[in-house]
Amino acid sequence: MPFVMLAGGIVLLVFLSFISLTQGIAKLSPSTVMQALFAPQDVPEHRFINGVRLPRTVIGLLSGAALAVAGALMQSVTRNPLASETTLGINAGAFLVVVVGTIFWPGLLHQYAFLFAIIGGVAAALAVFGMGGGRKGTPVRIALSGMIVTLVLSSITSALMMLFEQDTQGLFLWGSGSLNQNDWSGVHFAWPWISCGLLAVLFAVRHLDLLAFGDESAQSLGLNSSTIRMFAMGAGIVLACVSVSIVGPIGFIGLLAPHIVKLSGMRRHIWLLPISAVWGAAILVGADTIARGFVNSAIGELPAGAVTAFIGAPWIIWLALKASKHSAGGAIEGRTSMYVGTFSRRLPYWLLVLVSLILLVAVCVTALMSGTLRLSASEVIQTLFGQGTALHTKIIWDLRLPRLLTAAVVGIALAASGSLMQSAVRNPLADPQIVGVSSGAGVGAMLLLIVFPQLPVGWVPVGAFIGGIAAAVIVYSAAWRRGLNPTVLTLVGIAVAASGSALINILVIYAKLTLAPALAWLAGSTYARSWPDFWRVLPFIVILLPIGWWLGRRVDLLAFNDESSKGLGLSVRWTRLLVALLSVLLASAAVAAVGAVGFIGLLAPHAARMLVGSNHRRVLLLSCLLGAILLVAGDWAGRMILSPREIPSGIMVALIGAPYLVFLMVQARSAK
Amino acid sequence: MSYVVRKASLFIVMSMLLVLVSACGSSSKETSTSETNAAASETRASTETEKTDASAAEANTLETRNIKHVLGELPITGVPNKIVVLEWTYAEDLLALGIQPAGVADIENMKKNVALPIELSADVQDVGTRQEPNLETIAALEPDLIIGVKFRHEAAYDQFNAIAPTLIFDPYPAEGQGDQYQEMVDTFKTIADAAGKSAEAEAVLADLQKSYDDAKSKLAAAGKDGRTFVLSMPWVDQNAVTFRLSTSNGLASKVLEQIGLKNGYQSAQFEAYGFTTSGVEALQSVQDADYINITRETEVADMLGKNAVWTGLTFVKENRLFALGGDAWPYGGPHSAKIIVERAVQALTGQ
Repeated sequence: MPFVMLAGGIVLLVFLSFISLTQGIAKLSPSTVMQALFAPQDVPEHRFINGVRLPRTVIGLLSGAALAVAGALMQSVTRNPLASETTLGINAGAFLVVVVGTIFWPGLLHQYAFLFAIIGGVAAALAVFGMGGGRKGTPVRIALSGMIVTLVLSSITSALMMLFEQDTQGLFLWGSGSLNQNDWSGVHFAWPWISCGLLAVLFAVRHLDLLAFGDESAQSLGLNSSTIRMFAMGAGIVLACVSVSIVGPIGFIGLLAPHIVKLSGMRRHIWLLPISAVWGAAILVGADTIARGFVNSAIGELPAGAVTAFIGAPWIIWLALKASKHSAGGAIEGRTSMYVGTFSRRLPYWLLVLVSLILLVAVCVTALMSGTLRLSASEVIQTLFGQGTALHTKIIWDLRLPRLLTAAVVGIALAASGSLMQSAVRNPLADPQIVGVSSGAGVGAMLLLIVFPQLPVGWVPVGAFIGGIAAAVIVYSAAWRRGLNPTVLTLVGIAVAASGSALINILVIYAKLTLAPALAWLAGSTYARSWPDFWRVLPFIVILLPIGWWLGRRVDLLAFNDESSKGLGLSVRWTRLLVALLSVLLASAAVAAVGAVGFIGLLAPHAARMLVGSNHRRVLLLSCLLGAILLVAGDWAGRMILSPREIPSGIMVALIGAPYLVFLMVQARSAK
Repeated sequence: MSYVVRKASLFIVMSMLLVLVSACGSSSKETSTSETNAAASETRASTETEKTDASAAEANTLETRNIKHVLGELPITGVPNKIVVLEWTYAEDLLALGIQPAGVADIENMKKNVALPIELSADVQDVGTRQEPNLETIAALEPDLIIGVKFRHEAAYDQFNAIAPTLIFDPYPAEGQGDQYQEMVDTFKTIADAAGKSAEAEAVLADLQKSYDDAKSKLAAAGKDGRTFVLSMPWVDQNAVTFRLSTSNGLASKVLEQIGLKNGYQSAQFEAYGFTTSGVEALQSVQDADYINITRETEVADMLGKNAVWTGLTFVKENRLFALGGDAWPYGGPHSAKIIVERAVQALTGQ
């Protein structure tokens, strides 16, 4: 069997590599390719193949192999079938640091791109690992942490690319994973690292096998498991980062290839690693062949990363459904609990609400006072009561107040949505984004911009709203047969969100110049929001929040596992669906108004739960207040820091949230 | 406190909050519209009186003009005093007309990318990024006119228009709906009309025509007239060079056609923005043309020197590579057109 897999992979690999050489602006015949390879002459076709296409195919082979082995190593080390360079945030971290390098130290970056990538990759992996509870973290928890870290890092990346539009315009294609090569220098750099890395891990295969039995059995066999773990994880990260620094972040190879090999029953690393490498190389070259095939179409050349995400996402959905079948409902996540820890000295609830209210008012007043034109508190109050000067009136009533109120209602909607979603999928790290609302909304908005360029931009929120709901519908219908099991929902949601992001990248590349508006939307921005935006979001809050409140005890009961909830006479599936519906509607309305502001849906309810315990109604109210405070403060800070340049509020929220991530990590560590 | 009481009080607090928010909102909407209208007409009236006092004769000759732009029509009376420009091309247009704008977006990067007809005065206010210009900074300048571009500023048009009358232009007509060069000239004239500088605009365009005629005779004298070119805007995309190749509908390509040169690059389909983004392989079909490029990145040449496809191209072997400099703005106005033509002639004739 191993030989069949190996031989099959190699045949596929040779075939795809050959096809890939014929693809490009000029379609070349197989016989030309053969001639170019074995009897090269100084003719243009042969220069195409030997000068540009061959290095591109070879770098595809190297990267594919590196990513596949990195994925397999990470899965073995963490004993988590979902671990890979994408899900551990390594891609996003490496890309962010490279973007920072391009902007601030371009000379240094061109020389040491690999170092930049590895710093970012390692930092992101550590963050995800720490947040997910380290080695004791369940697969779902690690996957969620990876998604959160990825979202935060990508929103910072988008914002930087928007602020430094002229410096970074070239990075977008690479940032979605492009195998495009100038000459052989990429290959010359990468092959020693990748081949040494692969060889090194091949010497450790027997020890890696033992890791599967768990620490104790490994120790009894006289093995220092933590050394091996460090070594394997380090090798995996280096392999992934070499690849990122040359071809950009390419997702899903590290999941796809090892799982195809494991499906054929192979578990021993001596076979698993080399066969994964062959299959990973074949998949990446195949994806790039498809990507190159689009070069003469209206879409233009695609980044290979977009194609792999597209192939990979359905695979993860299938994997999630399969995993849940085998483990009879949620066992792979172990026991999840909504308990997030509380402060030892808990303040009375009414005091917390009061303090939050005062804080909200204070933030609002500060926001109304500050800006290009500084107003005193009394001037603000006068203007609010219609006594201000013409300029003050214009600035307060037309600019600051509508923007502030929109930020506030969107903050409330996102926080409430997160609070409800966490209850619905019974996971304290959940967020409306995990059912694909944000990326679905992004796809909807982009499609509307591109397919109907004649429509006024006022229609974009409609497209976003429909897209957000559509993504959630896809996730829910896929998970319906498993009784909306929280684990399945989460995994399917992650897959749909990832393919949504890939689709957004394709659409942004296709739309070319509209990159800046697209990036503004992707980072999430409350810029120039006015009364109509406020009025569009408000009804959702006024109608849906009371329903969420009214559900009260029923939501609390969802926190128990399904069997005990049923025992309490609760139709679990329907309640879960209703709660999720409320959450999706709120999130879609919010995202349609301001774009993909992330993090509030996670942070506000999480903090609220820590402050007041698990009572649904209390958590709901307090998280709404915290959500409003967060987005209003983020919007205010974004206006002020680089004035007159504006920083999108999405990135400000992410920056405020980053320390919270660190806090979560510390907490996850101490909770063990 | 018992559970029930707590629950009840909570509910009251929350519903009060909702009522408060909605009340705030609804009352504010009515007041805001009426007040801003009042405020707007007030400011406009005051500037007008100032102006009539200052130059009564001039204002009399300039009646109200209806200025057409892509999002509608705007009546403008008199000469707008303070103009805020949100896209570089239109700032260049104003400077070409001899007007210093009150505010411009992203001045620092504009100076790097656009060769300007006259120096931008030091007291011109930077109003933030082109994509998200700071509305308050603009409002604080109390402008009489704002000029923006459709693909960036359409979404917040109402907000800009509430600050001052706003003109929006679209330099990228859809297929069959116009021509980028004609659009550039028309927009320049429209801006001049809005600014009360129509006569100056005619002079600038006449000067541009003269540059074209000079260029033609210089090219003819050097035996370079009627040559085929490919216009490229390359940049380094991390590990390879990516080219924006100007298509036949592209503004910069149209400018070079004004002096009798021919664009050798044909795109497979219509490109709304006037360029195709492509790799080095695309240059094979135009290797007999003259390669003209605009780039600020010095790494481009280094990287291409190592590229086997590039070094095999005819125009590379025959060293027919012509650089226009990084600040020749291919999306600009009449002055940018003049710069492109002058530098192209200089490069092609070697003078």
